[in-house]
Amino acid sequence: MIDVLIIGAGITGSALARELSKYEMTVTVLDKEMDVGNGATMANSAIIHSGHDPKEGTLKAKLNVRGNALYDVLEKELNIPLLKTGAFLVAHNDEEKATLRTLRARAKTNGAVMEEISLEEAFKAEPNLSRDIQEVVSLPTTKVTFPWEVALALMENAVVNGVTFERGQEVIAIHPNGGTFTVETTTDAFDAKYVINAAGVFADTIAGMVETHVPYTIKPRKGEYFVIDRREKGYMNHVIYPIPSKAGKGVLVTPQVHGETLIGPTSLTIEDKTGNNTTAGGLNWIKNEAKKIAQNIPYHKTIRTFAGIRPSIEQYDFYIQESTEVPNFYHLGGIDSPGLTSAPAIAEMARDWVLSKEAFALKTHFTATREKITPFRSMSDDEKRAAFQADARYGKLICKCERVTEADVVNAIHRPIPADSVKAVKKRTRAGAGICQGGYCQHNVINIIARELSIPKTEVNYYNKHTNILVRETKEARHDV
Amino acid sequence: MMYDIIIIGGGAAGLSAAKEAYDPALKILVIEREARLGGILRQCIHNGFGIHKFNLELTGPEYAEKTAEAIEDLDIDVLLKTTVTDIIKFKTFDLTVMNETDGEFHVEAKSVIIASGCYEKTRSQILLPGDRPAGILTAGSAQRYLNLDGYMVGKKVFILGSGDIGLIMARRMTLEGAEVLGVAELMPYSNGLTRNIAQCLDDYDIPLYLSHTITDIIGKERLEKIVIQEVDPHFTPIEGTEKTFEVDTLLLSVGLVPDIQMFESLKFAISPITKGAIVDQHLQTSVEGLFACGNALHVHDLVDWVSEESERAGQYAKAYVTGTLHAHEAKDVIPGDHVRYVLPQKLDFSGQDESTRFSLRSTIKADKGTFKIMQGDTLIMHKKMRHIAPAEMEHLIVPKDKWVSDEPVTISLEVS
Amino acid sequence: MATREMICIVCPVGCHLSVDEKTLEVTGNRCPRGEKYGKKELTNPTRMLTSTVKTNAKIQRRISIKTSDEIPKGKIFAIMDVLNDIEAKVPVKAGDVLLKNVLDTGVDIIATTSLEH
Repeated sequence: MIDVLIIGAGITGSALARELSKYEMTVTVLDKEMDVGNGATMANSAIIHSGHDPKEGTLKAKLNVRGNALYDVLEKELNIPLLKTGAFLVAHNDEEKATLRTLRARAKTNGAVMEEISLEEAFKAEPNLSRDIQEVVSLPTTKVTFPWEVALALMENAVVNGVTFERGQEVIAIHPNGGTFTVETTTDAFDAKYVINAAGVFADTIAGMVETHVPYTIKPRKGEYFVIDRREKGYMNHVIYPIPSKAGKGVLVTPQVHGETLIGPTSLTIEDKTGNNTTAGGLNWIKNEAKKIAQNIPYHKTIRTFAGIRPSIEQYDFYIQESTEVPNFYHLGGIDSPGLTSAPAIAEMARDWVLSKEAFALKTHFTATREKITPFRSMSDDEKRAAFQADARYGKLICKCERVTEADVVNAIHRPIPADSVKAVKKRTRAGAGICQGGYCQHNVINIIARELSIPKTEVNYYNKHTNILVRETKEARHDV
Repeated sequence: MMYDIIIIGGGAAGLSAAKEAYDPALKILVIEREARLGGILRQCIHNGFGIHKFNLELTGPEYAEKTAEAIEDLDIDVLLKTTVTDIIKFKTFDLTVMNETDGEFHVEAKSVIIASGCYEKTRSQILLPGDRPAGILTAGSAQRYLNLDGYMVGKKVFILGSGDIGLIMARRMTLEGAEVLGVAELMPYSNGLTRNIAQCLDDYDIPLYLSHTITDIIGKERLEKIVIQEVDPHFTPIEGTEKTFEVDTLLLSVGLVPDIQMFESLKFAISPITKGAIVDQHLQTSVEGLFACGNALHVHDLVDWVSEESERAGQYAKAYVTGTLHAHEAKDVIPGDHVRYVLPQKLDFSGQDESTRFSLRSTIKADKGTFKIMQGDTLIMHKKMRHIAPAEMEHLIVPKDKWVSDEPVTISLEVS
Repeated sequence: MATREMICIVCPVGCHLSVDEKTLEVTGNRCPRGEKYGKKELTNPTRMLTSTVKTNAKIQRRISIKTSDEIPKGKIFAIMDVLNDIEAKVPVKAGDVLLKNVLDTGVDIIATTSLEH
């Protein structure tokens, strides 16, 4: 019997797993994907918001501000990337300036740090701000992280501390057994005392397996982005927010941890929970909106576009509470913005639910830290020499665009959450994330995975099961095609 | 170790440059990232190479071997399995390189020739809509997996782009047992050699959809379907012309780009049209002592011209290090009507050569046309040509005594 | 009068040929090689074949090959099957004959890459 079963290994599930791993309890996390954070966690603005925006008194407001502070702790403990960019919130007409006044008051009530800045200072700090802007406020606690890396760091730390992460486990039924649950997947069944639903865009589907009246419906809301080449780093140094509207925060300019700049997102409710394709219409809309806040946007240096699906619900706020129908089943629903920021705070909240049911003791031996993973390209000359002395594979460059060595890839393959697909290696090492998008390095990555895991190259997947890139050897009989 | 000339890339361009740069008094180094010399030719196992250069029809590997043989007995250093990761210039060039034997180290040179080839445009650069499943690769990747590693990347294939790589792979995949359902081409004409349409598509009954583009990609994990649509003269998809194909593989043959991002810290001027360096008639970039040739300078359609151009680059680099190449102010060479680009983009009229060789591409297809070289209003030279196409690079040789001034030059194409 | 339209593949120009199916008269060619090609396409079409075969070399798993001369178009896939059974053992030099007289065509399979080990 597992104490706590978490469904979903996105940023929320991973943060919760790590938090619970501090206690003497058995925790298992299930995800239908073959890696951590393949849903909304992988496709968002990566911003740790200050908390100026969510309505006063809501969970979003409270958890946003608390989460913002917790990211500084996570940076120290788990060595997650955290770029302290700060942000400018900009208004460019009277109506927007009025909204800005509301937001100033809101920030104060929420406990979010907001400071005044003159237009002159703002233009000096950011020469590429649109000159149509009439008023600016500063949000110095705004930061940018790499969300997927955070989820991975959290889940790795959780696993090191005893949590079981089961990949490729799609939940198809949940059977309540008078106080406990049997959670059935396509291949296995898990018995658990407490089940916590952190299934993102599929949270309502999961909830529907236990409840007759699910208290929310996921309305998938697509957000498309442009990714500008990291060689344009410095185009904008702060996160730039327009004045928000009902549709959301609007189109932002967001510098990223690895040097890229995001322009976007759109905000369009769609039918398909997995419809993460970008559209000509969406991308054009971004260009129009972005003009309001920035000038000279280097679209010609776009290296790719992507779309994320927000697990939005009709309610304004997160739906975070125990089920009113089924005791011991908990909802972490509707985790759209500021979900990334709030995740560590949501984890604290959920932890307290479990502790209020059973007095699990704190572990005496909890490994709170995770050592920094320094990729070869970020090492100093001395570090490079030492690394090469220890492992000659640090001398073999397998990805020229992102400067990834064979040793970086091998290390990623053998970590607590193994990288055993081309995409998993790309997420961890950035091999294949550069300008040629794997044209040079993909065959190297396939070779290394096959060798390290002792599997045939035809079994190396692109990301999930049945996505092998190499289908068969050439000199087999052709008739079986 | 201070070299006279370092050549980055051991493919057709690098080897040709090395051959002509060689002099027993000079220290020359070729740096190649693969375990063998030859570059992209190693995976181009089809024939058709060398018709102009050797008067033979060779396969890619044979052409590469012939080119490599020319430097075999010369005292030229070669570093294999070694990658250049950075270059800076003080008075001389300092290259950061790395390999498995020595880790990261530095080599220096008085002159550098960039012969690093090109990379293929991907889905991201052409903003293809739709899902992002497995099964979408560039044609060159599929070629590499097939011809060097021995693996097929799919069973039912569609190809986007009718340039030669796309056409060659249509045939290659079919020969190895895949079903190729078609090739789509955005333009109203193919970019590849007409003979390749015949021997790669017609021979195997593979349909070619001209003026078509991909408007949807469907597949959650693995590719399942693609949808193509006809486009109007403004490349807007025409409603009602959708055609759906059930395929598990989409190969992209949508363009090549000079692979020079590693060297951008040198800040040499780059042409927004060719995406390669801006050079003068000596193939020297805006950074003194830095030369470029081959696909790393501009994308070629025939390797024969890569060799020709790179041999000249080698000669000029040698002249530079021996002090016989003098740089003076260069004037612009401007592409005029119906000309997409001209190389070199700069011309130094006090240059020593007897003639200047221009390489250029048209913007249009024409059965007959006349290339006109002008300085201001003066016609310097003209050349009548037939079968002009953007996919086929043209060359014009202008003797030195033809120039009437040191005014900028314009080269345009007049269609008959 | 039935004619076959085709593109000549003898050289990169790619003339559009029309060949009378009865008389084998060729029009549209710009050189005598084209006339020869047009006639041959209707009587005994042949092609050069390039492909790969297995090799036991360390550096790459396949070695490129070509036919020493053109082979009948209709035998292409049968020859591809024969290639599946060939393994080129190192050292191999470009030009080496890997298989003589494939499928009684009088044409050999020749290596086009040299591999030492």
